[in-house]
Amino acid sequence: MTAVLVVVAVATLVLAVLMVVHAERQRGRVIRRVDRMTADLGFDHMPSVSPEESVARLATSLERWRASVVDVAYERRYRAALEAIPLGVIVVDADRNPLFVNGAASWFREGRHSEAVVAHAVERLITRSVSGENHEETVQLYGPPRRRLHLTAAQIEADGTSLGTLVLIDDVTEQDRIDAVRRDFITNISHELRTPIGAMSLLAETLVGETDTAVVESLAERLSREADRLAATVDDLLELSRIEHGGDGDFEPIALQSVIAVAHDRVRSAAQQRDVEIGVTLPEAPLMVHGDRRQLTSAVFNLLDNGVKYSGSSASVVSIRGRLVGDEIELTVQDSGIGIPRKDLDRVFERFYRVDSGRSRSSGGTGLGLSMVRHIVANHGGRITVESAEGEGTTFTLQLPALPPPDGEEPPDDRSDGDMDHEVNPA
Amino acid sequence: MNEALRKTYHEELDGIREGIVRMAGLVSELIPRGTEIFLGGDLSEAQRLIEEDDILDAMSIELEERCYQVLALQQPMASDLRAITSALWLNAEIERSGDLMANIAKATRRIYGITIDPRVRGLIVQMSEEAARLFRLSIDSYAEGDSGLGAALRDIDDRLDELHRDTIQAIFETHKDQGYDLQAGVQLALVCRFYERIGDHAVNIGERVCYMVDGWHPEHTGALRANARKQERADVDEGDADV
Repeated sequence: MTAVLVVVAVATLVLAVLMVVHAERQRGRVIRRVDRMTADLGFDHMPSVSPEESVARLATSLERWRASVVDVAYERRYRAALEAIPLGVIVVDADRNPLFVNGAASWFREGRHSEAVVAHAVERLITRSVSGENHEETVQLYGPPRRRLHLTAAQIEADGTSLGTLVLIDDVTEQDRIDAVRRDFITNISHELRTPIGAMSLLAETLVGETDTAVVESLAERLSREADRLAATVDDLLELSRIEHGGDGDFEPIALQSVIAVAHDRVRSAAQQRDVEIGVTLPEAPLMVHGDRRQLTSAVFNLLDNGVKYSGSSASVVSIRGRLVGDEIELTVQDSGIGIPRKDLDRVFERFYRVDSGRSRSSGGTGLGLSMVRHIVANHGGRITVESAEGEGTTFTLQLPALPPPDGEEPPDDRSDGDMDHEVNPA
Repeated sequence: MNEALRKTYHEELDGIREGIVRMAGLVSELIPRGTEIFLGGDLSEAQRLIEEDDILDAMSIELEERCYQVLALQQPMASDLRAITSALWLNAEIERSGDLMANIAKATRRIYGITIDPRVRGLIVQMSEEAARLFRLSIDSYAEGDSGLGAALRDIDDRLDELHRDTIQAIFETHKDQGYDLQAGVQLALVCRFYERIGDHAVNIGERVCYMVDGWHPEHTGALRANARKQERADVDEGDADV
């Protein structure tokens, strides 16, 4: 009996030991497994000594992983937002290493020519911003193309510590252009209206009390001329306004040859006075457009008139040529006069814009002619371009949609310049 | 340690290269700007441009010193040595081109109040554009290590030389009509000469790029010819002595 009890006791003891060993092994496996999971998260690679410690480490790592995922999401969101901004955005750290450059600012990173100037300006601005000086700078680039950039820098701080510098680059070129157009228009229209009004006022004052008949007559004539000048300006403004709004044009099939003949006739006298010859080169077959006769005549007249006015020396030639190119009619008006400076070419079609106020006002006119031409061409579904070089002359080219010729007629020959059918009406 | 030294050395080389391109960028901008100032007779902007030339001078000195430091401390060899010596040459060419634009700004003052004939104005604009284009091409050849482009600049410069001749002729044909004296005409001619010189500097830069990339310089061809002639003369003299 005693022997049986001893055997049972020993067996129980052995079993208990085995169970403890098994439990320990299981515990170790759990710890190792949890530690492996923690290591996989990348934040903690230290082995744990107890399940509680391993679980605590896992919980901490999970929290850090969650925060990093949120940070990445935030960063992605902020990057996308900064990329969407139309301004250039540059972020550098406290050591001026670049952290972020959005697409709008990346163009100058190549750092050559004008881009190098911008890179230099950005560095200069960062230096000034770090030292607490001026945070803004404007950079004028001559390129080409001309651009004006406004740079702004701000310090990035958190808890009183400088984290780096933020630089914004704003391309204000277009805004400058719009401001210049608006400013010049107001200045020029004020001048165009005020000058004759001022002259009329002065002449009227002088007339008061004047008894000499000859003097009165002379002053009255000048008063009348100034009134005509003012009236012409107002008429042109009204005409331009009408044209700009599409007008109440009377559109019909028109042969450009007839329009050119009328415009040529109107400018003939001024051309003769300045000893300028007008050469017209047109095909025999009609160049047909769907248009308003009055507007088209005004457009061609304005171009010829400009050519005559700015021909410079006497015995020069203003030539007008028309031809069919594909399904468009191309009309060029070319002079060999003083030309237009490169910097003014983009602005010659603005209302009242003067290339050079001295030379333009002495030549007369209201400064609205080319603006009218541009709108007339647009009303007819066409386009106008200008090429010019100072001292060499100017060429205006109009392209208008062509109408097919009347039934039974051959379309005009679209051979190149210098091979036209005939020349007519030299001045 | 060697790795760190090599990294610093290459950073220095890159920094010198970047300095050259940056200085050249400033000069590229000066050309159209100086032309606009000259033709517009803008005295205050002319003064600003003259003062800004000092910035270029300071950059040039700093770049030169960096090159000397690399030569002294790193003792570059082969292509790196050519790169540093070429950078020293380019530094001088670019700085001189900036000086020429400052000269044009000074000429603005000298001819202030004179009306320039439109034909002459147009030709000056063309000269300015051509000079700027040549200069930019020369810097492109340097930045890209393009010796082909560098070598082509001499021929591309022919257009600027042609414009120079046309402009000089136009100046002296028109000065009487415009009512300015010969002295003003000479000033205008000098301005044209400045643009033509910028073109020459661009050609020099291109030739330096050829040397930097290929180890060849046009002067090498001249030197070879001179040596060949010298050898020929020596052979003839030797032959005469034998006789």
